[in-house]
Amino acid sequence: MSRPRVPAWAAAIALLGAALACARRDDPAAIAAAAAEKRLNLYIWSAYMPQDVLDDFTKQTGIAVRYDLYDSNESVLAKLQSGVADYDLVVPSDYMVRILIHLKLVKPLEKGRLHNLGNLDPRFLDKTFDPGNRYSIPYVWGTTGYGYNVARARGALDSWAPLFDPANKGQILMLDDMRECFSAALKFLGKSINTTNPADLKAAADLLKKQKPLVKTYNSSDFEHILASGDVIYAHGYNGQIAKVAAEEPGKLAYVVPKEGATIWVDSVCIPAGARHTDAIYAFLDFIMDPKINARIVDGIRYASANAAARQWISPDILNDPAVYAPAESLTKCEFVEDIGEATEVMDEYWTEIKAQ
Amino acid sequence: MSRGGADRTGRAALPLVLPAWIALGIFFLLPLAILFVISFGQRATYGDLKPISDLWTYIASGKLLAQYARSLHGIYLQIFWRSLWMAVVTTVLCLVMSYPIAYYIAVTAPARKRNLLLGLVVIPFWTSFLIRTYAWMFLLRTEGLINRVLMGLNITSQPMELLYNNFAVLIGLVYGELPFMILPLYASLEKLDLSLLEASADLGAPRSSTFWRVTVPLTMPGIVAGIILVFVPSLGQFIVSDLLGGARTILAGNLIQNQFAVARNKPFGAAIAFELTAAVLLLLYAYTRYTRRRGEDVLL
Amino acid sequence: MRTKGRFLRAYAWLVYAFLYAPIAILVIFSFNRASQTAVWQGFTLEWYRSLGHNELILTAVRNSLIVGLAATVIATVIGTLVALALGRYEFRGQTFTKNLLYLPIIIPEIVVGAALVTFFGVVALRLSLLTVIIAHVVFSISYVAIVVRARLSGFDRSLEEAALDLGARPMQTFWRVTLPLILPGVVSGALLVFTVSIDDYVITSFVAGVGATTLPLQIYSMLKVGVTPEINAVSTLLLVVTIALIAAAQRLQTPPTEGLRD
Repeated sequence: MSRPRVPAWAAAIALLGAALACARRDDPAAIAAAAAEKRLNLYIWSAYMPQDVLDDFTKQTGIAVRYDLYDSNESVLAKLQSGVADYDLVVPSDYMVRILIHLKLVKPLEKGRLHNLGNLDPRFLDKTFDPGNRYSIPYVWGTTGYGYNVARARGALDSWAPLFDPANKGQILMLDDMRECFSAALKFLGKSINTTNPADLKAAADLLKKQKPLVKTYNSSDFEHILASGDVIYAHGYNGQIAKVAAEEPGKLAYVVPKEGATIWVDSVCIPAGARHTDAIYAFLDFIMDPKINARIVDGIRYASANAAARQWISPDILNDPAVYAPAESLTKCEFVEDIGEATEVMDEYWTEIKAQ
Repeated sequence: MSRGGADRTGRAALPLVLPAWIALGIFFLLPLAILFVISFGQRATYGDLKPISDLWTYIASGKLLAQYARSLHGIYLQIFWRSLWMAVVTTVLCLVMSYPIAYYIAVTAPARKRNLLLGLVVIPFWTSFLIRTYAWMFLLRTEGLINRVLMGLNITSQPMELLYNNFAVLIGLVYGELPFMILPLYASLEKLDLSLLEASADLGAPRSSTFWRVTVPLTMPGIVAGIILVFVPSLGQFIVSDLLGGARTILAGNLIQNQFAVARNKPFGAAIAFELTAAVLLLLYAYTRYTRRRGEDVLL
Repeated sequence: MRTKGRFLRAYAWLVYAFLYAPIAILVIFSFNRASQTAVWQGFTLEWYRSLGHNELILTAVRNSLIVGLAATVIATVIGTLVALALGRYEFRGQTFTKNLLYLPIIIPEIVVGAALVTFFGVVALRLSLLTVIIAHVVFSISYVAIVVRARLSGFDRSLEEAALDLGARPMQTFWRVTLPLILPGVVSGALLVFTVSIDDYVITSFVAGVGATTLPLQIYSMLKVGVTPEINAVSTLLLVVTIALIAAAQRLQTPPTEGLRD
């Protein structure tokens, strides 16, 4: 046989090397090309963006949108920390924004390229996690209380008490989220959710340990379906998703922000430090801050947006749904989650102990 | 083991193994080495790595092995034990469940049907593991199919708690690992010389005796291979305990995943990962000693 | 022996029932009109129809196929070569090679995934479909090696030696004698790799980049967001396709001796 005697393995290595070379694009020409490219890579919470809004954006601008979903802030951090994820926009929660800023994983906004910033609700601007909103634009806000089955729930349904009541064993769902569970416990104990006091943390941990046998499952992603399907009576969860299933069967489910207080959170849009498709990014940001588009988003995802100008376009039944647009009185004792620094490791040990029981 | 050896020198083997060495060396050994180095580090406040300014002081202060020290007591030890226990129970259940059916396919069933029967064992595993796990949730939940059927037939009056507990996790694990036990057992049983069984019967041994003293020892390689193929993945898995266990139990796999994804403590996660790996490598070592004694390696 | 045969058969069918129960549920409820409940609400093909419009799933299937095919080809080549080496030669580094091949199977997936994503970060290789392919190749080589090695252990060297004695060059011998004889093993290995690759979640979740979502990743996120029977539909289709593939592969596989007769 007169085949060229290039060993197969040498050819393979050459091919691999070529492929690897293509995957690294650091030169300026490539950067400029990417900035203008009509493509957008979103990394966003699983329930946060209706497909039809994205489709409209593509139709209007010709920019193709790809997205990946996540259900925890930590996933955002992990992906951005790897340094090799290729997202143009992420939507982290308040305390995570602060961490990302601190770790220089997000880059400042070029405010000159944004035309709809005036539409935003001042209540959610200039927060401690990003003074002056140099890096983030508030997108959606909500609370973390609990939903319950109206017919079967008993007890003080304006308080956290039912979720810690041994009488409700096996009927409780808690979010699979360390900060959220600790917040619920701390609020029930009358403490701040951002306390770093060791005694407070221990008390909350002990309460959660006592609660564990009562909890049927820990779930952060489809808690609303587990509640709706009747597997649990009480479900710790984010207001919007509970409001959504509640609207599907009126009167069956209800959502409450307990009187002791709960976490209030705002999720903001940020630009990762390595984001490449800059033109597409700013086009998209302007798009979603447009009042009518924003209203459509709210209608679709049933979470309250931080866009004040959009209110006039939002469906009245959503505006009047206390589960979505919480009345001011219920928010008085609510706190934003803030980063607790070194105490995170302490909390993490407790959390592992709780889960490991 | 090679046959008829003297005409082929070891040199001819080099180009054959080089691609594997390079591929696995760069993309397997090297990443593991990096992870191993990280396991000696410390987590900085926000989850990246604390830079080490002075290596000797670092080692001397005892921080070098801090992650390993931390992982070897208290709740973590508990988690290891529980994972070990789960893996053992899963393996035993798989072995007990698989042996009869492997025997049936290899020995009892007509020879022409063997490929079909074996194929039937494997085909379910051509669907996504996630979906099959989810299908179990569908079956086991309070308003799921099993409860509905049982209550509909008046066998039970209250729905049984079949999901979000250890029972469900075991079902999920056993279900996922079954073919990895059936296939090696089948391979061993197929090579079984039936005349030996007949001889044993002819010599007056009762069936159980024949089974335990002839069949089992002869199929030991298959049993051992199956045990390894089932036990090892069971140790490190975390999806089943997450979905079917309701995220209520932490096994070693969940712990590692948690450290990397949520707690952002890479050094600690790496330390635990390597401890798990060490346990498994010990097993591999024992297996190699076993096969060397027997003179045959079942897998490679 | 009769009664034992009957019991064993009954038992075997019980095990098959256990194996197929979730699959049956999957397939049956892909035709269910209702979206979430366990109640049968009528037969419908709408989920299969909407599958055709579901961009996310279609892209995920495409990605899975790309990764599966690429990983299968590369891993099968590398794995077959290594198996040949192990099966025929005694060489220095033999034990090292064997252990090297055992490691990817034995080390928990999550460790491999974490190590790979850290490694890609260190060498600044952006996560993409390529990184997924690399990861899949890494854990697949061992499977191919094991399967082909098993095939080789029944291998009769005299056929090769006869060919060489008759004047054939080593390359010729390989292509026309060895390869056809080990082909069933190679094909089995390739099928195994393809299966494992299509279904891999853990490692892929660590190393997939944006737009590189494979089917398991997509399914996982759909499971988390809210299941529609579209998932059932896509699984059923996958099942049918893979069964067809295996059946076809079985048909095409000729017994070893036939290949030599011509």
